[in-house]
Amino acid sequence: MSSPSRARRRALLVGVGGLGCPAAIALARAGVGTLGLCDDDVVERSNLHRQILFRDADVGSSKLACAARALREWAPEVDTRVHEGRLLPGGAVDLVGQYDVVLEGSDNFATKFLAADACALAGVPVVHASAVRWIGTALAVGRGGAPCYRCLFEDLPRDGAPNCAEAGVMGPVVGLIGAAQADLALALLDELPAAAGQLVTFDGRTGEFRRRGIRARADCALCGRRARIRSIEAHAYAAPESTGAARCAANDAGCAS
Amino acid sequence: METIVRIPTPLRTLTGGADEVSASGNTVGDVIEDLERRHPGIRERLLDDKGVRRFVNIYVGEEDVRFLDGLKTALKAGDQISIVPAIAGG
Repeated sequence: MSSPSRARRRALLVGVGGLGCPAAIALARAGVGTLGLCDDDVVERSNLHRQILFRDADVGSSKLACAARALREWAPEVDTRVHEGRLLPGGAVDLVGQYDVVLEGSDNFATKFLAADACALAGVPVVHASAVRWIGTALAVGRGGAPCYRCLFEDLPRDGAPNCAEAGVMGPVVGLIGAAQADLALALLDELPAAAGQLVTFDGRTGEFRRRGIRARADCALCGRRARIRSIEAHAYAAPESTGAARCAANDAGCAS
Repeated sequence: METIVRIPTPLRTLTGGADEVSASGNTVGDVIEDLERRHPGIRERLLDDKGVRRFVNIYVGEEDVRFLDGLKTALKAGDQISIVPAIAGG
């Protein structure tokens, strides 16, 4: 279902991978007028089973260029905009502030927390999503910013985080979560009150979908009564990249991006 | 009292691949201790010296234990525990 008002809506996809590809198609087909794409990667052959905007001939080329081309072919009426490079602390708030909703489907915790913080500071709704092997999650954060990603996962994992080191990811699971992410984003764009604060989880081995509401934590650093995060400080997003402890180590194994 | 615990993919290496295991105890903390006896190493993945790790959520039914009584949350027959870890990938 599309509507004239959606044609005036703008959605930013942070990460155009296994989640961003199906989500972008769903939003374009739903009539969202402007899609922004943000990524810094190139298409690899191991991406093709789940990153459904890309084709064999795209291997080695910029994901942004290939995704923009594919979306313009799929939905020429959509204004597709590319933002070269990954979301970085400098300019993150300004970038997300140009959009009505953000779909964060990145492959690392630093970008996830940066997107969460930037969207809260800019007052922009965001849907976070992740998938590893057979499981996936999507969390919708409304315009009011509470509850937020930091209510669920307080800060960047710095040691011993469950990661996808020996993982990889199942293409259909990512597709389902990308669709759920788009569904939640459309609900936020349509300002359906039931969407904000909803956490969707899916287990591809059991076929179990669960949707539960999360609660705001009073002591949340981002949306709590004494929120400490008032601006984007680059060092706050650096630790996992430098230690490597929490980074999704399976990037090389086709887990992400 | 035995409680069913749903194990997410990243932790299934510790449960022999099982996505669901049983553990006994009257509270969430007791169940985690019993899980550790049956599946050594799992406690460290869930808890640190302050309690539930900040990138892990433990639910009893649909409720996050942080909003109940934490590790002291009492369990009743039929309760199911599920674990939602932070993951990054896609």
